[in-house]
Amino acid sequence: MAYLLGVGRVCVKTAGREAGRKCVIVKVIDKNYRLVTGPPELTGVRRRKCNIKHLEPLPYVLDIGEDASDEEVAKKLLEANILSEQDLVKKQVKP
Amino acid sequence: MPAPRYRSRSLKRRFIRTPGGRTVVHYKKKRHSYAKCAVCKGRLNAVPTGPRVEIRKLPKSMRRPNRPYGGYLCPKCLREKIKSEVISEGLHILEIQS
Repeated sequence: MAYLLGVGRVCVKTAGREAGRKCVIVKVIDKNYRLVTGPPELTGVRRRKCNIKHLEPLPYVLDIGEDASDEEVAKKLLEANILSEQDLVKKQVKP
Repeated sequence: MPAPRYRSRSLKRRFIRTPGGRTVVHYKKKRHSYAKCAVCKGRLNAVPTGPRVEIRKLPKSMRRPNRPYGGYLCPKCLREKIKSEVISEGLHILEIQS
């Protein structure tokens, strides 16, 4: 079951320091690259270009527009309540 | 009795026969083992090899890569681990839906 890596696809980063974190594809850059965002304050994945080899798709698609803003993605992601407890970035309370 | 500096177990002893027929001891420093991946036992990059004491003095960012399971799993095994988790999670969700 190969899931398409299109806009709105929720996937997991499999490489890099954000490995294992969930993120959403926001824009298709070209054959090999997608623009991906967590958004950062939610899952800790920054808005950046990412090679599709480092992405593992999940069976979810959010209906967000092309190049959507982080707030919009966050809203849709929370609505779809896909994220489990440990996906969310713990808020570091500044002492 | 060897000189004090040679009376240490961290030196390897090698007995060598010289052309004159004498046997001579050559001392060699023991080599430290390199970091290995817990799954595929391949060598880990970005993890220094050397005496534990020296490594401990290095800053944390120089002791292991900045990645989940960094210094424990190699990138390939980490990717397989995440993929298998995602797939099992995916199947789990498909069952609920169907």
